[in-house]
Amino acid sequence: MSNASGDQAALEVVDLHKSFGDHKVIQGVSMTAHKGDVISILGASGSGKSTFLRCINLLEIPSAGDVYVAGEKIRMHTDKAGRYQPEDIHQVERLRARLGMVFQSFNLWSHMTVIENVIEAPIHVLKIPKAEAIEQGEALLQKVGIYDRKDYYPAQLSGGQQQRVAIARGLAMQPAVMLFDEPTSALDPELVGEVLKVMRDLAEEGRTMLVVTHEMGFAKDVSSEVVFLHEGMIEEKGDPKQIFQNPNSDRFRQFLSRTMQ
Amino acid sequence: MGEAIIQFLDTWSPIDIVLIAQNFDRFLLGAWITLKLTGLSLIIGGIISIPLAIIRAGNNPFLNAPVWAFTYLFRGTPLLVQTYLIYYGLGQFEWIRETALWQPVLSQAWYCALIAFSLNTAAYTTELLRGSIITTSKGEIEAAKACGFSNSMRLRRIVLPSAFRRALPAYSNEVIFMLHGSVVASTITIQDLLGVGRWLNGRYYLAYEGFITAAVLYLIIVLLISKGFRIWEKHWLAHLYPQDAVKVKPKKGLASFRV
Repeated sequence: MSNASGDQAALEVVDLHKSFGDHKVIQGVSMTAHKGDVISILGASGSGKSTFLRCINLLEIPSAGDVYVAGEKIRMHTDKAGRYQPEDIHQVERLRARLGMVFQSFNLWSHMTVIENVIEAPIHVLKIPKAEAIEQGEALLQKVGIYDRKDYYPAQLSGGQQQRVAIARGLAMQPAVMLFDEPTSALDPELVGEVLKVMRDLAEEGRTMLVVTHEMGFAKDVSSEVVFLHEGMIEEKGDPKQIFQNPNSDRFRQFLSRTMQ
Repeated sequence: MGEAIIQFLDTWSPIDIVLIAQNFDRFLLGAWITLKLTGLSLIIGGIISIPLAIIRAGNNPFLNAPVWAFTYLFRGTPLLVQTYLIYYGLGQFEWIRETALWQPVLSQAWYCALIAFSLNTAAYTTELLRGSIITTSKGEIEAAKACGFSNSMRLRRIVLPSAFRRALPAYSNEVIFMLHGSVVASTITIQDLLGVGRWLNGRYYLAYEGFITAAVLYLIIVLLISKGFRIWEKHWLAHLYPQDAVKVKPKKGLASFRV
């Protein structure tokens, strides 16, 4: 979708809603990420930030709203049972491949080695020749600093190492946008740094990233925009330098005082 | 010299070793029949069980119900009964006797045993695999979805390879049960390993000679199967070993892992 100025957003979410039964988790969130944007999504637990991220690649099916990936709208319709559903699962699969996702609990494929994890989707989804996928995969493992463990299984790695592999796996899809769902929340404190370092490097090289996080330092220093969710709505958003100094919303101020002490 | 040994054994051995030695080729042939029957049943049953397990792990009630009925029936009745029903039962029906399958297959004890054993192990393996499939890590499945895998690709590349591995230790039990269950073949005229023992007993009225020889050979086969599975597990379940197991050659420390 082209907006008024004519440039194409890497990712655009329009008026997204998500309910679980009567419980409204997301109530009309819109967001645009242009190429190179790093958007940090903050919020207390239960604010809907992870659900929002999971609705973007349809791991959760939104109840209403539209998602555009690199200008292409994920076509949705209401089925016979009255549920809001994707119209074409193949389109969803194709667009998911353009969104790299990093999970809180890493979710590496446990029966595959590190390098196999990284080349699996490029070979079987993107249909890249194996030799090429290995070459790219090894370069990515170099980049996230875990090349020397490429033949290890995930269970033989620390959490921080696993998460860096998961980032490499996401990058291997050459995605338009990387989605990070609390990537450091499951890590021991001393391992958080190595993952944040990789994410900083990615931000610096101009990757488009959406990051659900509790890491205030990362949100403040690295992101180009911060969005604060409260009860499924955007309570505050803006340039991190401004809103961390002068929050408009009381709730965001309270949130900051609780988390930054 | 040889004479002296035979003389000695004849006089002093509690069991008639010479008789066993004389008939040992029969026992080896019986062992071969047992292995062939068990092996073929496991292969056929294993192939049948994969699609059935996928159906059982899914949530389509129209497919699930008949498969559930099949596994319930075959796990809920003794293998001996199933074998009798196929071997003795089918022949009662004239229309079955008139089919082209009758003469070459269904009238043959060997094929009846093979069919019964295959269906039996298929039923057990189906439920075993189903349990393994439905316990696949949700996170790993989500990761595959997020990478753009289609349903069938996800099943082929992520769910099944992971489920097969996790099912392996339990499957080694199924293999041993099937080997032991295959003695049922000896009740429908097949000269399997136990069949030879029975034959020896029937001919010479010497129960120990036949049955102990059969038992020892079963033990040896089970030992080899267990050993084989242990090697297979070491290779296939390497991802469950503790840190650095890949670089450090797995040794005794890993034994604690074995289920």
